[in-house]
Amino acid sequence: MGPALIELKGITCVSEDGGVIFEDAHLSLYGGERALIAGPPASGKGPLLRLIAGLERPIRGEVLLFGKDISGLEGRELNDLRKRMGFIFNDNILISNLKVVENAALPLIYHSRLTYQESMERALELLDLAGYRGDPWALPGPLPLYAKKEVCVARAISMEPDIVICESFTDGLTGPEKERLSTLLAGYQGGAPGRLLVLTAGDESEAVFFKADRIVRIEGRGFAGQAR
Amino acid sequence: MGEKVIGRVLVLNSYRRVAVSSLGSFVFRFGQNRAATMNVLFKQIYFTGFEAIPIISWIAVILGLVIVTQSLSILPKVGGEGMIGEILVWVVIRELGPVFASVIVIARSGTAIAAELGSMRISREISALEVMGIDPMRYLIMPRVIGTAVSVFVLTFYFETVTILGGYLLAGFGKSVAFSVYISSVLESMGFIEVGVSLLKSVLFGLIIGTVCSVHGLKVEKSITRIPQETTNAVIGSLRLVFVMDAVITFMFFYI
Repeated sequence: MGPALIELKGITCVSEDGGVIFEDAHLSLYGGERALIAGPPASGKGPLLRLIAGLERPIRGEVLLFGKDISGLEGRELNDLRKRMGFIFNDNILISNLKVVENAALPLIYHSRLTYQESMERALELLDLAGYRGDPWALPGPLPLYAKKEVCVARAISMEPDIVICESFTDGLTGPEKERLSTLLAGYQGGAPGRLLVLTAGDESEAVFFKADRIVRIEGRGFAGQAR
Repeated sequence: MGEKVIGRVLVLNSYRRVAVSSLGSFVFRFGQNRAATMNVLFKQIYFTGFEAIPIISWIAVILGLVIVTQSLSILPKVGGEGMIGEILVWVVIRELGPVFASVIVIARSGTAIAAELGSMRISREISALEVMGIDPMRYLIMPRVIGTAVSVFVLTFYFETVTILGGYLLAGFGKSVAFSVYISSVLESMGFIEVGVSLLKSVLFGLIIGTVCSVHGLKVEKSITRIPQETTNAVIGSLRLVFVMDAVITFMFFYI
């Protein structure tokens, strides 16, 4: 196992209506592991990912990414850390006015030194790797759920991030679809040392698809089952 | 009353922040993430500028017809045929060109910008950009603000040209004023200040439209019903600021 890539140290955070979601909660996720974070609906999986992404701030405690406290980070410093992570939201968010291939290429076009053409070629390769067989020049709105997931996977791994985070990734998928995409993500995680794959799910049974080597449960206002 | 004033000041301040941030991003960070931002900028210029040409052409020709017809019905009676150029410059270049181009852009593209950004907020696309490390201000807002400014600038120039030429061809051809007299009268009346102020207005109006519509689009948060409301607010806010700015610039350059 590698160093801790994500650390939550004594965080307390509240929802918009003032309810406490986490209270003095601690969590460490390490390079080289596949971690499943399980919790029932409304247990705080979404807010947890928003904290990790720096979209929300805890009212107390620290959130560390790659060993760096992101509480005080803004703009470019925060974005430099974010581009080392690939996110897949549960509602498979794709940019609606960009074509499928442009969606997959967007992080490359924005962050990398590749030319526009090179980014598009790389995105086509990634879509192929993800198993996408639809029209890469279509707009993503009418795509079926599974195809959207494939595009999201291609985009999430486009920058070869150290951390890939999937929010309720298997929701709405059939058994074989779960198997195929989970194997793909697990393969990416195992493709280089020190990569971290984090998944959130409603229950622990999803761990089998990802061959998760660690299960963390959200219990009460904290985390349980962290033993490595 | 006090709350309303404070609210209005806060909204104006949010316009100022977005406009300054967009201009700063365009001028000082032009080279960064250029492939991505230029792509959005060119699309914005295409949708706002190029695709508006048919409707701008229609309105310009009809407006030119009306102005030239009215002028030629009155001027010969008072022996003032030579004044037609001055009338066109006063009416079209100083005022109507930038204002009409802006109103058309507000109706076509301002509404589209506000609705599109609002819809992106609702579907969490803006959050998705943020977690990819993509700055929405730089990737989404700056190209829209600058693209709208460039488009209004070009459309204003085009609108004025079509109004003056089209107006004569439809209404003035074969009448008491020869084309050469008409054109030389227009050119003689057109000083640097007239053209400069017209183009200054067009750039400022474009910046206002892009900024105001973007700010209102981003104000949509959780409810989809906010999209039409904020789109309406974007139109009203843009029109209000464009007309106020028009009055201020006209007063500054042609009165003082």
